[in-house]
Parts: sequence; structure tokens; C-alpha cells
Amino acid sequence: MRAALKILAALVFAAASACNGGGAPEFAPGTSVLRLAEVNDVPTLDPAAGYDTVSWLFEQMLFSTLVRYGDADVKLHPDAALSWTVSPDATVFTFHLRRDIRFTSGRAVTSADFRYAIERVLNPKTNSKGMEYFRSIQGAPEFIAGRAAHLSGIVTPDPWTIIFHLRAPDPIFVDKLAMPFAAAVPHEAVERWGEDFSRHPVGSGPFMLKEWIGGQRIVMVKNPHYFIRDLPKLDAVVDLLGVSAELEWLKFEAGEIDVSAIPTAEFVYVMKTPSLKRLTTHQVTVATQYLGMNSQMAPFTDLRVRQAFNYAIDKHKLIALLNGRGVVAHGVMPPTLPGFDPDLKGYPYDPDRARQLLAEAGMKRLNVKLWLLADQTELMVGQSIQQDLALVGVDLTLKPIALAPLLDAVRQPNNVPFMVFGWEADFPDPSNFLDVLFSRSQWGANNDTFYYNPRVEALLKEAAPVTDLKKRYALYDQAEKIIVDDAPWVFLYNPVAYVIHQPWVHDFVLNPMRPTRLEKVWVSPHH
Amino acid sequence: MLIYLARRIVFGAVVLLGTSLITFLIAFVIPADPAVAMAGAKADPQTLATIRHELGLDQPLYVQYGRYLDRALHGDLGRSYIRRQSVTALIVSRFPATAILAVSAMALSLILGVLMGTVAAAWHDRPIDHTLLVFSLGLVSMPVFWLGTMLLIAGGLYLRDFPLGGFEGPRSLVLPTITLALGSAGYYSRILHTNLVEALGQDYVRTARGKGLSPARTMFKHAMANALLPLVTLAGLDLAGLLSGVVLTETVFDWPGIGRLAFEAIFNLDIPLIMGTVLFAAFLIVVANLAVDLLYLWLDPRIRLEQAP
Repeated sequence: MRAALKILAALVFAAASACNGGGAPEFAPGTSVLRLAEVNDVPTLDPAAGYDTVSWLFEQMLFSTLVRYGDADVKLHPDAALSWTVSPDATVFTFHLRRDIRFTSGRAVTSADFRYAIERVLNPKTNSKGMEYFRSIQGAPEFIAGRAAHLSGIVTPDPWTIIFHLRAPDPIFVDKLAMPFAAAVPHEAVERWGEDFSRHPVGSGPFMLKEWIGGQRIVMVKNPHYFIRDLPKLDAVVDLLGVSAELEWLKFEAGEIDVSAIPTAEFVYVMKTPSLKRLTTHQVTVATQYLGMNSQMAPFTDLRVRQAFNYAIDKHKLIALLNGRGVVAHGVMPPTLPGFDPDLKGYPYDPDRARQLLAEAGMKRLNVKLWLLADQTELMVGQSIQQDLALVGVDLTLKPIALAPLLDAVRQPNNVPFMVFGWEADFPDPSNFLDVLFSRSQWGANNDTFYYNPRVEALLKEAAPVTDLKKRYALYDQAEKIIVDDAPWVFLYNPVAYVIHQPWVHDFVLNPMRPTRLEKVWVSPHH
Repeated sequence: MLIYLARRIVFGAVVLLGTSLITFLIAFVIPADPAVAMAGAKADPQTLATIRHELGLDQPLYVQYGRYLDRALHGDLGRSYIRRQSVTALIVSRFPATAILAVSAMALSLILGVLMGTVAAAWHDRPIDHTLLVFSLGLVSMPVFWLGTMLLIAGGLYLRDFPLGGFEGPRSLVLPTITLALGSAGYYSRILHTNLVEALGQDYVRTARGKGLSPARTMFKHAMANALLPLVTLAGLDLAGLLSGVVLTETVFDWPGIGRLAFEAIFNLDIPLIMGTVLFAAFLIVVANLAVDLLYLWLDPRIRLEQAP
């Protein structure tokens, strides 16, 4: 009877597993496999569609872009391009491609494939999140409106050369080409699979998709035709999907996965245990967390109130609450961003000065509502701020809500006076912080404090086309100084990312701005 | 009988239509822009406008609902905004995992519930009854996420007898099944206990005893048949609930079912996927209701007589 029940259970499970994709993947002995886990499922593997860390982790493995960032830095390196030149006015960009790149289908990658990828992103029917990055190419308005079959601003004189002509100078256009949106895709595969290209991706990156079972796992295997010899070092990567942070940690402890995030509850234990601490790696991200104050809404229309809030917040205490996983922010730009101004001092913790400024502004007792994401860490941050502000006579009410309504709410004018938010760079240039977050044109979009200062506006306009980096950064630094003086934000901290890996994992490094690249990672044999 | 069945089916269809309408309206009333959810927090206004137009979000609500209904009737629940896959295909791919967990948890909870309820009723007001009462209440009160995590630590990390989550082989079914079944088992045992104690005091049971039937035969042949009836309704509806996804258990055990899919859809404001999973859950509940009604007709002749014209 018991045996019959066992057989029945096994049969039922086999039937269900067959529908869902079967058991754990098996590899031949000696195969070098890196095992990971993700909290989220993979939204997409289509480079035109993905705009999140998890999708980009895999897209980096599957596809090649003309240029890419270093493994642990945000400097541009050639990827599919051998070299490139930029015209002095930053309107013409010429790339020369390697001739030894092939899609996993076997076909050679040519300049037409890069052109096709960008046209696909700009095609409204693709619903790509990357459209805005390529609108500056000549002919983009006509192409988007359907009045032109191709972008006139992309010229491919031969299979190994691609030239971009822009409508206006854009010194950071090369950075935009490092985003997965601009990765080469073969038109024949996209046309064959249509919207399901994401399930059947064909690229020219270091890995190929072997298996993707939604909600369970994704398995990547080495692309034997990858154009950089001896890479990737791994034979395969298995990533378990939808694993909660707690389960991820249990799996790491059991040796079932090789790299893990460190849950808050375990962080102190890990950092106090030398054998574990030496397995951790960390990196200051190109991101800034802040408290946004809507400068069009009372009481934040008064500069003294905004400055008082800056003096009132104890950022060191906040970072201690986060187990040290942050560095104090003195301004908008994080220290890992090129153009960062180390001389900017910001606002020290000075509750007396805060009280004095509030008194000067005639604010004896203030009641303010802080909008924030309904998540454990944000609530902890909110409570710390509540405590700090209470000391200077401000009654703070927390309003935790879900991300989608929060994003919608902050985009409405005169709606959200005070909020906890963060910004993570898409490319390493001050414009990706200052233009996007403080220009008048971003009201109702990313300028969630509805900040406006004509001097800042003029400086941003002046800096945008400047190709001389020293001059460019000097202009942005001037703009940042004015913004810090105007204090539309309380500049909180720059998050530091931490991961821990097993002792048999080598060369796993974190990039400040992008998911880790896995082609140079290796695992000791017979671990 | 046929008229009754037809009436129930029409009623079920109306419920589904109402559910689709309410879900649709809720999705559009909540203060969040699906285009922002799809394009991400950093999207510029032009990109958002393009996406709204491409998705038809700039059309009047009734047009959008009409299109949705038309497609749904053809089995097409739209495409997920975030995953860009067919919602129907996503639900179909996740259903087997949820179904196997739901059915095994239901089976275990019924076995345990009936066992505990019967023992407690047979020894009513004795120490074993009181012990089982406390035990059942403990099971009902135990939070699923806590129990699941404890079982994972004990069975997966220390004993290493069971996998640490995932959907890989029959052994991976054991811990989530226990986690999901214990709470319902405690509940069922209390319901059955109450019904059995009541039934054991009825005249027909006393008559059976007077005829010289053994206590066991009286219990199982006479009292149990009536006491089990309310459990049929409960278990039927519970099964429909389980089949439409168990978010916490699926999350704790990395179980790739519909509950986790629905949770992710809500978190990402993936409206087609939210609507698809809600409609699917409503469909299961309507079907379960119908099945329970039919089962009742078959089990209880009195109901059959009442329904007769």
C-alpha cells in the first residue's frame, strides 16, 4: 500500500513537473556551474523591453553592445566595437566593429544588426522603455511617426562600420549605447518569434539560454563561439527565481547557492565572523537616497524650512541603523559618479541651527506628512527621521504606500509635500542626476520636488553639449552647489551594496551601476 | 434537476461577468499609472504617452472593457505588461504546481482533521478531547510563514531530509503540504467534533444504539454521514481557494504557483495579470460552488426533495 502511494505521488508529481518543466538541471561531473538565486522572477530577456536589474543581469550575459563598462568601474570599454571616434561637437559617432562576432545562430553580427536594434527600440509598437535615449538621433521623429522606414541618422557604409548622426550635441551618447537597449539582435529571430523573442533570445554574448522555467529557474550555458577567447570561464549559470531573501540565505548556508545577498538580520553576525566577513564584497553604488521637499508646497516654499530639515537629520545615525550599508551624502552626486565634487560639504547635523532657522521662518510647531514606500527598510528610515524632526519641533506622520501609487502621486503637482526617494544612475554622468531630477522640463516626471532655479537651468543648458570633461564637470558642480544651497532635498546617503560568496567562488566583483558581469567569474573544481 | 443546474450555471456566468467588471474598474480607479508601472520610474513623459497610446489606455473605459471582455471570451486574457507574455499561458504554466500542492494539502488536512475530530468526539469531555482542542487551536493559530520557515530550517537545513524550497521532485512537496494542511486540519477537526457530538445525541443515533449496534458502527455508519456534510461545503470552497493560489506558502517555499504570480502582479501593478489571476480565481470558486451543490444533492436526499418542483 505504502509503495503504491509512493508510486502514485511520484506519477502525479511527474505529470505536474512535465507541465512545468521538470526537476533540477543536471550537469556532467566537472562542469563549472555558478548557482545564484533571485528574489524576483525575470521580467524579460528582450533587450528592447528590460529596464530592471534582474533583466539586465541576464541580458548582459546574452547580448553584446558596442561598448560596455568595466567589471568593477563605470569607465567605457569596447565590446562589439574595436574603436570609436566622436566629432568635436559630439554630434557624429563612428564605431568600427570586430569582425569575429557571431550570433549563437551562427550568423555574423554586422552594423545592420545594431541599427535594427535601435530602430526596434524607437518603434512605438515595441513599447520599449529605452525610447528616450535614442530620440536625439537624426530622423527619429519621422521614424517614430511612421513617416520613414529607417532612421536617417544611422548610416552603415559597410558591415563593420556604423555612424550615428545626432540632432544636437550629446557628449554622453556613447554611454547610452552601453545600455542593453542598444544590444545587437538578429532581425530574423525577432521577426520569427515576435513578442515571444524574450523566450527565445538569440544574441552574441558570453552565454546562451538553455532553459527558463517561469518562477523556478533560468539556466545559461557557455556560448562556445563567444568572441573573447577563454571566456566565459563558467560552463553554466543556474539562477533560481522567486526565492525569498530568507530562503536565499538558508540555501547559501546549506551550500546550495554560491552567492547571496545578506539579510539585515544576519548582517551583524556575518561582519563579526571573520571567516564569513572575508567572503563578502561591497561597492558604493552610483545612487543617492534623499528626502524630497516639494518646493511649490508649504511649508517647503520657505528656503529656511528646507535648510532646517537638512540640519535636523542625523545621517550617521541613519546609516548605523542600516548596519553601515551607506555613506553620508553631502550633495546630489554620489562619490562613484565621475564629476563628483569632494569639496562639497552639505549640511552637518546641527539641531540647534535647525531650530533657529525654523524660528526665523515663524514655524513654531510644524505638522508634516512623509510619503514613503511601504517596506521594512524605508519604514525604519522614516521612523529615524520622525525622531530627529521631533527634536526640532516637527510632528512627522508617516504615509507608507505601494510603489506604483507613490510614483503616480509624486508626479502630480501640489500633491506630495515630503517624500523618501532614491535615484540610481543609468549612465555615469552628472546630467543623469542634475538634468533629470532638477530641470523644469522634468516637472510631472522625475523632478518630484518641482524644483526650479533659472541659474541652475542656465548652467544645465550650458553644460549639456560640453565635451571637455573638466569644463563639463565644473559647470555641473556649480549647478550642484546652487541646488545644495537651495536644499530641495535632504541629502541622506549613498547606498553600499554587499554580497557574500562561497569560498570556492572567485573574481566575483560588484559594479557600482550595473549587475555583476559573470564571464570572468570561476569556481574551484571539486568544491 | 436540469433546470436547477442551468440556473446555477447562468448565475456563475453573471458572477464572473461582475468580477471582471469590478476588477477592471478597480484596476483603473487605483491611483497609479499602468504606463509608469510598465515603463519604470524613470520614464520621460513622451515615452509614457507613447506607451499609453499603444496599450489603448487613452481610449474610453467602456471601449477598453469591451475589448477585454471580447478577448477573454476567446480565452485570451491579454499580455502581461511586465513579463510581456500571454496571461493565459502564464496562468496555465503555473497552475500544475498550485494544483498539486492544493490537492495534497487538502487531502492531508482532511485526513488529519477527520481523525482528530472523530477521536475528540468519541472521547468527548475527556482529557484527550481537551488536549486535541488545545492542539487544534494551536494549529489554526500558527502563522503559515513562521511554520514554513521553521520546517525549512529543521527539515531542510539541519536534517537535510527535504529540499530547501523549489519544485523539484516529490520530496519538495512534503514541507509546503504540511505547512498548508495543518491550519485547515485544526479547523476541520473542530467543525467535525462539534457536528459529531451533536449527531451522537440525536434520536436516530440513540435508536441505532438501542438496536444493539456497536459504538464504532453507530459513529461511522450513522453519526458520521450527517456530521461530514458541512465539511463537504467547507472543503470544496477551501480547495477552490487553494487552487487559486496560496501566496505565503508559495513565497516561503519558492513554489512556482499562481499565488506568487498574483502577488508579483499586484506588486508590479501588472493590470492584465492581476485581472487574469482574479478572474481565474473567481472561475474556480464558481466551479467549486457548483460542484459542492451537486455533491450535496447526491449526498443528502432531503435536499433533492426540496429542490424538486
